Amino acid sequence: MARAVSTRRKAAVTALAWTIGILIFFPIFWTILTSFKTEAEAVATPPSLFNFNWTLENYTTVQDRSNYGRHFLNSVVISLGSTFLGLVIAVPAAWAMAFVPGKQTKNVLMWMLSTKMLPPVGVLIPIYLIFRNTGLLDTRVALIIVLTLINLPIIVWMLYTYFREIPGEILEAARMDGATLRYEILYVLTPMALPGIASTFLLNVILAWNEAFWTLNLTAANAAPLTAFIASYSSPEGLFYAKLSAASTMAIAPILILGWFSQKQLVRGLTFGAVK
Amino acid sequence: MATQHSRAAARLMISPAVILLLGWMLIPLGMTIYFSFLRYNLLMPGTEAWAGFENYSYFLTDPAFFAAIWNTLFLVGGVLLITVVGGILLALLLDQPFWGQGIVRLLVIAPFFVMPTVSALVWKNMFMNPVNGLFAFLADAIGMQPVDFFAEIPLLSIILIVAWGWLPFATLILLTAMQSLDGEQLEASEMDGAGAVSRFFHIVLPHLARAITVVILIQTIFLLSIFAEILVTTNGGPGTATTNLTFLVYAESLLRFDVGTGSAGGVVAVILANIVAIFLMRMIGKNLDA
Repeated sequence: MARAVSTRRKAAVTALAWTIGILIFFPIFWTILTSFKTEAEAVATPPSLFNFNWTLENYTTVQDRSNYGRHFLNSVVISLGSTFLGLVIAVPAAWAMAFVPGKQTKNVLMWMLSTKMLPPVGVLIPIYLIFRNTGLLDTRVALIIVLTLINLPIIVWMLYTYFREIPGEILEAARMDGATLRYEILYVLTPMALPGIASTFLLNVILAWNEAFWTLNLTAANAAPLTAFIASYSSPEGLFYAKLSAASTMAIAPILILGWFSQKQLVRGLTFGAVK
Repeated sequence: MATQHSRAAARLMISPAVILLLGWMLIPLGMTIYFSFLRYNLLMPGTEAWAGFENYSYFLTDPAFFAAIWNTLFLVGGVLLITVVGGILLALLLDQPFWGQGIVRLLVIAPFFVMPTVSALVWKNMFMNPVNGLFAFLADAIGMQPVDFFAEIPLLSIILIVAWGWLPFATLILLTAMQSLDGEQLEASEMDGAGAVSRFFHIVLPHLARAITVVILIQTIFLLSIFAEILVTTNGGPGTATTNLTFLVYAESLLRFDVGTGSAGGVVAVILANIVAIFLMRMIGKNLDA
């Protein structure tokens, strides 16, 4: 669309858009900034913007006092573990649905989606009791199982929408050229499927990392990921803004970066392909 | 094209996912329904007894239930209102040509990636705290009385925090939908003398209708289950001022250990969510045919 836009109008839009963008981002910026202040400076009036003594002591304090590394590791293990497990189960399923669609394929997909509509609180007690009775409460295994299952419909759906776009003709062409099945899978299908699998992987890691119903209810000291660890700041002692900020910054930074990379795929994944 | 052989293989490839999800759905849900008819308290193991509909009548006549339903509706409705209206406005703005589009987009979608416990605690302490919060400082600076957010307007405070996290989601989806709008149609209507307002209501908004519906339905599913933000800020209080249905069921079952009543509440939550889900499934199902 080649519509001439006056420079003045563009400048005005730029100013407005940047102002709003900065306002929306401000709480994150403020958290990162506060993480480098001392506790006293964090509550100083008037608040200091950049003219304070920058310090890294909050980051070391958070680690010393609470074994931050352990919770971080829990988050990594749980989100990566549940995503890998989910992909292992979902890739064959989505593959079959996209390339060998049957009469029931649509119904199966819709049914899978419907399991996502089940509010977690509807099954909280049985899941809690099952894990308690099997000794899995407060273990990473329990959370990997639960997060795999709650995100499985999203993984299947997202992969399905990607696989469906791989043209079947290419396969036929490869076959005409005498490609073996092994060649077909390794050199024709995999390269075309990989971007979709990678996007699905990213989105699911983000969702699992930020999941805060099951992680809060099924963990205590041992398996608590960052969502649950941060929650412990809800009943703090003394000044804690700078420490909360440091813990928060470390908790959101990795996922913010992943999210920025995957923003294009986000829409498709989160709307089940309904908006492209 | 598909042979008998490949059909069998396909079924084999799909079955693990289906079986796992079927188990995940049926076993716990069946247990919840079963528990909901029992008198069952975790503090008194071994005293379980059949209770009929007692748990349901207790749960559904509890004043906290009405408060929770009202709070749930208010929470979902409030967040939807802010995110959909704000999302449309933001999408309209970000769709214009301006310098630094890519960076502003990154700034705007960032809150969506912040985990709920972080956003709730950061907002509660560093912004909404009546003594040390930034809002209190700003109110002081312009000579106003600082608002004690979680004492005076607890539910609205939670709505604001949750809306901050979901505004990027609505914006991103509406912006994507807006970018598929046919530019020529807009230009043609502009030549016909249609003003900006009438172009918005007659062309842009109808084009966005589908995306708006999707945003509303998907957000509703997630918003019905808001939990972490309440747990770390108010614990459902003061009183029941911020207790939604999810939090009430959690409190009944894991704080008061009343599994029977909690399960009855869980079943009620499932029924309510299903009503929303039916609409969402229809929307997405239609798209599958297209």
